Amino acid sequence: MTPSVSGPAPSGALSPFAAALDALARQRGVVGALVVSEHDGIVVDANVHTGVRAPTVAALAASLYRKARLSADAAGLGHASYVELVASHGRLCMAGRDDTVLVLIAEPHAASGLLRVAMLQALQAVP
Amino acid sequence: MTPTDISVTAVERWIESPLKQFVEDAQALLALLLNASGQVLGQHGFTRAVDVMAACALAAAIHASSSELGRLMQGSPFGALHHAGRGRQLFLAAPETARGTLVFLTVFDSASSLGIVQLYFEELRARLAEAAPPPRSSAPVVLAQDFESDLDRNLALLFHR
Repeated sequence: MTPSVSGPAPSGALSPFAAALDALARQRGVVGALVVSEHDGIVVDANVHTGVRAPTVAALAASLYRKARLSADAAGLGHASYVELVASHGRLCMAGRDDTVLVLIAEPHAASGLLRVAMLQALQAVP
Repeated sequence: MTPTDISVTAVERWIESPLKQFVEDAQALLALLLNASGQVLGQHGFTRAVDVMAACALAAAIHASSSELGRLMQGSPFGALHHAGRGRQLFLAAPETARGTLVFLTVFDSASSLGIVQLYFEELRARLAEAAPPPRSSAPVVLAQDFESDLDRNLALLFHR
C-alpha cells in the first residue's frame, strides 16, 4: 500500500477538513483527496499518496471545476454540484460549495457511484 | 488564442518563447521580465513605454526590499510575493538564469488563479533557465551614468520607437 501524505497540519491540531478527507481517502481506489480553494487554486488540506503532485492537481482541478460551474450556469443549467473527468488511467472527481472544492483522484477501477455519494456527503460535512 | 497570437516583446530572443507560453498557459493580463537593476527584458500587455518604465522601477524596488527583509528575518531572501487586489492580483518572483537573477512580475484576474500562476511560473523558470545563453564575457556592468540610456534603448526595442 502506498503511504499517504497529509496536507498542512498546523502545529499538531487537526484541520477542520481532516475527518472528511480521511473518510474519502479510505474509499477503495482513491489515491488522493484534497480540499482546494476555488478562487486561489491552492491546497487548503490534503490526504494524498506519495508521488501525487497535490499543488499541480489542485491548481488545475480548481480551474476546471470553476469553468464547468460557469459553463453550467451560462447554459442555464443551474449549480454544478459534481464534476467527473474520466481519463485513461483514472478519474478526477470534483464537488464544490462556496469557495471550497473537494477533489478526489481515483484509480480506474474505483466505483464512481460510491465516490460521488461519498463526496457529496463529505461536502455537507466540511465547515 | 494560441501562443503565436500573443503579443510579447523582448529585448533578447531567448526570452520571447518562454514568456509567450507563460502568458498563454496562465491567462495573465500583464507580464514583465526585468533584471534586478530594473532594466526591462520582455513584456506582455503594456501599451505605453512609460508604464513599463514605472512598473520595472517599482518591481525592482519591491524585489530588493523583500529580499533584504528576508535576509534580515530569516537569513535568506523571501521567495515569491503575492498581492491580492479586489479585481486583479499581482505575483512577483525572481527566476535564476545563467544571465543572473531576473525579476518576473505578472498581473492576473479571475480568469486565472494564484495556483495556476505558481504552477506555470515554475515552468517559466525552467524554460528561462534552459534558454538563457551563457553570460557574455564582456557583459556590460550596469552603471548609474548609463542606466537611463540603457533603459531608453530597451524600451525603444520593445515599442519599436
